[in-house]
Parts: sequence; structure tokens; C-alpha cells
Amino acid sequence: MINELKKLCLLDGVSGNEKDVRDYIISRISGKCEYSVDALGNVIAFVKGKKESDKKLMISAHMDEVGFIVTYINDDGTLCFSPVGGVDERVVFGRKVRLSSGIYGVVGGKALHNLSDDEKGKAPGFDKMVIDIGVSSKQEAQSVVSLGDYVSYVSEFTELGKDKVKCKAIDDRAGCAIMLRLIDEGVEYDTYFTFVVQEEVGLRGATCAAYSVNPDFAIVLESTTAADIPSASDSDRVCELSCGPVVSYMDNRTMYDRELYKLAFELAEDNGIPCQTKTRVAGGNDAGAIQTACGGVRVCAISLPCRYLHSESCVISKQDFENSYKLTKLLSDRIFSL
Amino acid sequence: MNTFQVLSSLSNAVGVSGYELSAVAVAEKHLANYGTTYTDSMGNLFCKAFDYNEKLPTILLDAHIDEIGFVVNYITDDGFLKISACGGIDRRVLLAQQVTVCGKEMIKGVVTSTPPHLEKDSSSCPKVEDVYVDVGMTADEVKKLVSLGDYVFIDSPARMLINYSVTSKALDNRAGCTAVIKTLELLNQCERKYNVLVCFSVQEELGLRGAKPAAFSAEFDEAIVVDVSFAKTHGESPKDCGVMGKGPMIGISPTLSRKMSDSLRRIAENKLIPYQLEVMSGRTGTNADVIGLSAGGKNAVTVSIPLKHMHTPAEIVDLNDIENTAKLICEYISDAE
Repeated sequence: MINELKKLCLLDGVSGNEKDVRDYIISRISGKCEYSVDALGNVIAFVKGKKESDKKLMISAHMDEVGFIVTYINDDGTLCFSPVGGVDERVVFGRKVRLSSGIYGVVGGKALHNLSDDEKGKAPGFDKMVIDIGVSSKQEAQSVVSLGDYVSYVSEFTELGKDKVKCKAIDDRAGCAIMLRLIDEGVEYDTYFTFVVQEEVGLRGATCAAYSVNPDFAIVLESTTAADIPSASDSDRVCELSCGPVVSYMDNRTMYDRELYKLAFELAEDNGIPCQTKTRVAGGNDAGAIQTACGGVRVCAISLPCRYLHSESCVISKQDFENSYKLTKLLSDRIFSL
Repeated sequence: MNTFQVLSSLSNAVGVSGYELSAVAVAEKHLANYGTTYTDSMGNLFCKAFDYNEKLPTILLDAHIDEIGFVVNYITDDGFLKISACGGIDRRVLLAQQVTVCGKEMIKGVVTSTPPHLEKDSSSCPKVEDVYVDVGMTADEVKKLVSLGDYVFIDSPARMLINYSVTSKALDNRAGCTAVIKTLELLNQCERKYNVLVCFSVQEELGLRGAKPAAFSAEFDEAIVVDVSFAKTHGESPKDCGVMGKGPMIGISPTLSRKMSDSLRRIAENKLIPYQLEVMSGRTGTNADVIGLSAGGKNAVTVSIPLKHMHTPAEIVDLNDIENTAKLICEYISDAE
């Protein structure tokens, strides 16, 4: 599953431009299940189980990642850009980036030594940063860049220590990788797997996929902010790496189904899987859109604790990744007995 | 080797100030093609290039080989590393940055980034003292591999951009080292009016510390200091910067030899080598400041390569500027009056 994650993370799929990720996922699932691609680009896969049920389960993960989009070409050939999704502007300056056309650039701006007194010590805002692709005029830039081109972080997939990995886009290719494994292994009951688009720009893909599937239950596989670093303590840490998947009772988008929440913890405990919940009401994910789809859906989210979420350096624990998969598998079977 | 190959071999090597050994080893291989190399007690790398003729004056070509970085000064109970800066890192690049720790082995890590909703003021850039390096290990695991004093650098291997420009870490000043190596390559086929002594000096970023003893022990008559300077980026004023791609920046300053500046300029005009003037009003902030004061005083001048985003892992240089710097210095040495 780690190799799968690596392949998925190294693909660029900023919200609205998920094609490469979608093509890869289709190449992986075709022949194993029925699938369709809707108008937004969601992949909706139906996997026949050993048993049938009158209840419908949807398991969902998003294909898109945060990134940037080119909004203007300056006279000096540098590119203005906006974030796509929620990016902390403090993790952008001085990074290599890759445009959807395949060319590379770096995010720059004024040199440290040329900052005014007001600017010193401040994080440059998106309005103060530009992408430099190595050209010196607007004409040169226009020959290789168009407004609306997408921009991704450039990041290696790297192991940190024995149990951690680092890359961009782990949010939420990790969820996609778990779903691909579940599809490979086959399911107990008929299950819909939705690989959705545009989560990072407002849970948009899931909104439509949930309408199309019209499920009774949904399990959302996600990544969530872990602040288990020395600068944060106690409840500010929200959740911690290597303490198992995160199952939430509430976040900024969803009041989760309490029975599913309890069931997830029971299953974890019965099967010796570490599991944790968040110590702050923070974040939000596709569960929010799915819960209110059609006549209402009972939702649960299983999230991977992830440090430095939405940066080029997302860090997760491999144990947590494996345990998220195990818990998802257990819950997706048991959910049909509710 | 083409210019990109020389530059990337140097910029991809590690050479944080005080720990220049790997970069020096790569540079030594290049320099050994042109003469005898040796190092001094500080770690400065010298090359007596070509054959020396006692009747000729000697010119020192200095380029500092160190780069900015960090040093580990504490390991927390959770296995995170506290670091201090070696040189003036641009702290706007710190958060969630990919780094390598030079421990018993090369260890990958990430600079911690506190999520914005937990920050009192997320508009400011944390200082180096306020962040940690996350290597994904427990304290026990870390302590087997990392010791206090180990160096840390930001990962950013060289990559060509379009238009013959390159982005990488450490282009300040491996670009200068590359220009000197390319100068030797050109001089190999020319008559020389000077003996050529190269010094790739250490610890410049900590306050020109390597060049001072290097200049003390080296025997030379005049010096050209090859470093980088500011190329205008978006939002900067042309009066503060040079322009990328418009050629080497010849330094003019009360602290530099105006005679050397003038001859460089005249040679550039005669040989149609693009150049720019960089006028400074006192100290240059380069090794020329200490080389000019060595022994009883020496004539020195700066020739600087325009560079964007100084002291970040996303520095950019134009290879044309490096090649034109080499041409200009070669002409100076082979064509002196």
C-alpha cells in the first residue's frame, strides 16, 4: 500500500485538474468493478460483494490536492497566482513548483536583503509572491504559460525514520490507496467507492457523488491535521501520529453519527487497533457534504493524522495508515448489521 | 563538462559554513585538471593553476565555497531537533521545508510548521529558534544517529529552468566557483599575463572568516573576488539590483581598486562581453573587504553574478552570466596591459 501511496502522491492533481489521478485510478480498477465518471470527474465504482443488503454503503476519498493557479503574467515574465484550497502562505515562499504544462518554476519575490523594515519578519502574502520560470518578459512567459494553468508542489516521497513517510498530496491520496486495496481484496457486501474531486475547494465533488449514489451509510477516508510537535501541547495537538486512525465526533462541517462513532471505537478496541479522536473541533471534510445529500446519510470519517497538512511535506505514520485500512475494512462489514 | 554539469555537481554537494568538506572534494576534482591543489588549516581550497612564471605578477581568484545552513543544538525528549542558523538564512522559507541532517548518515527531515489556527500571529515568520526539525524518530533513535553540532541543509537539487537558467540551493556561491573553473578552462588555451592562484574560501557566510587567513598566507599581487549579487525580482527597484542575463556585475566602490574596475569595464567593451556596473559606497559584503586589507593592502575588485532569491533554496542564476563572467576574467588575465 505504501508503493501505491507513493505513485498516487507523485501525480499532480490540484482541485479541478484531477485527470492524472483519475486516469491512474481507472487503470487500477478497470476489470475489477463497474465504474462511471460523472460530469465533475468523480469516479464512482460499484464493487459487487459476496452478500447483498437492502442498505447502501459509500466509501469515499478525494483525489484532489491543494495547490495554486496562475492568475496573471507580469511584464517581467513572472506569474501571479492564487492558492487553490487552504494553503498557509508561510509554507510557499522559496519552493520549487511544477506547472500543469510540465514546466518548473520557483516561488520568489524580493530578496531578504531588499525587504523594507515593514516587510522584515513578515510572512509574504500571496499578493507579494510570484512564480519565476526563468524567463524575463511577458511574451516569453505567454509562449509557455496560460492563465488558469495549475501549479503543484514539487516533493519527493521520502521515508522519515522507520515509521513515517513524507510527500505532498498525502491528503488524500492515502484515502485513495486504502480504497484501491479494498477493491483489490473484494468486499463482503455490495459497496460504492467514490473517488471524488474538488474537496479542497468546498467538498464539491462529494456533494454530487453522494446524490448519485444516494447511500444509507458513508465512510469518508481522510487526512487530518496533527499538531504533535514541540510548539503545541495538550489539546492544541488535536491528534498525534502513531496513535491510530482518528474518528471524530464533530468537526467544522459535520456532527457525525454517534452510533457509527461508537461502533468504530468498539471495533478498534475489540481488534487491538489503536484509535483516537480529535481534541479540538477543527477541520472539515466531505462527510459534511455527504451527510446532507438526498434524504440524509449516516456518516463516519476515518482520518489519518498528518503533520504539516496542505504543505509540500505532509508526514504520516505507516502504522496509522495500515490501521486506518484495517478499521475501514472492519467497519464497512459491520455497518450492514446496524 | 558543460556549465550546468559543473554548477550542479558543486551546488548539489553539501558545504554549510564550517562543514565545506564535501563541496571542497567536488571542487578539488575540477581544479585538479588545471594545477596543484592544497588546503590550509581553515579548510580553504587553493589551486596553483598552470605553470608559474616568476617574472609575472600573481592574481588571486577568490570564490567562497560555503553555503548557508543550520547546526543542531538540542534534541527534545520527543526526538525533534532544535537548530541554529549558519549564515543569514531567509526565514521565510523555513516552515514545512524539506531538509537533510548530516548525522552518522544522511537523514531526511521536515521543519515543523505550527498549523495557522494555533498561531497567535500567523502573519509573521517564525525565527530559526522557534522551529524544530522532525526526522520521524524517537529521541533514542535520533541520538544514535545525530549529535549536537551536526549540520543541516535544505534539500534542493539543481534543476534547469527554461532559457538557460538554473534553480538550486547554494548557487551563492557555487555559481562563483563555477565561473572560476570555467575561467581556468578558457585560460588553458590562452597566453597568460598573470600567474593564477585560485582560492575557494570557507566560512564567508559567517563573516568572511576563511578569506582573511587565506589572503594572509597566499602570495599574490591583486585579486578578483567572484561572488553573487542581487538580480532584480518582481517588486524590486532597478536601483537596488542588477538584471539577470545582462552579464557580470563589475564592482565599483571606494574599497575596491578603481583601476581594476576600469580595466574590466574597458575589456568588456572591447571584447563585446555584456556587463553591468554594481556601485557600492563602502564595504562590499564580499571577501574583497578582507582580501583588500590583507598584509599591507592589495588591489581587489568584485565581479558578481546576478542571482535571484538570495539565501533561499530557490536561488536562480542564468548560465550565460556565469559563462560571461568566465570570459571577462579570462580576458583580463590573458590581455592585461
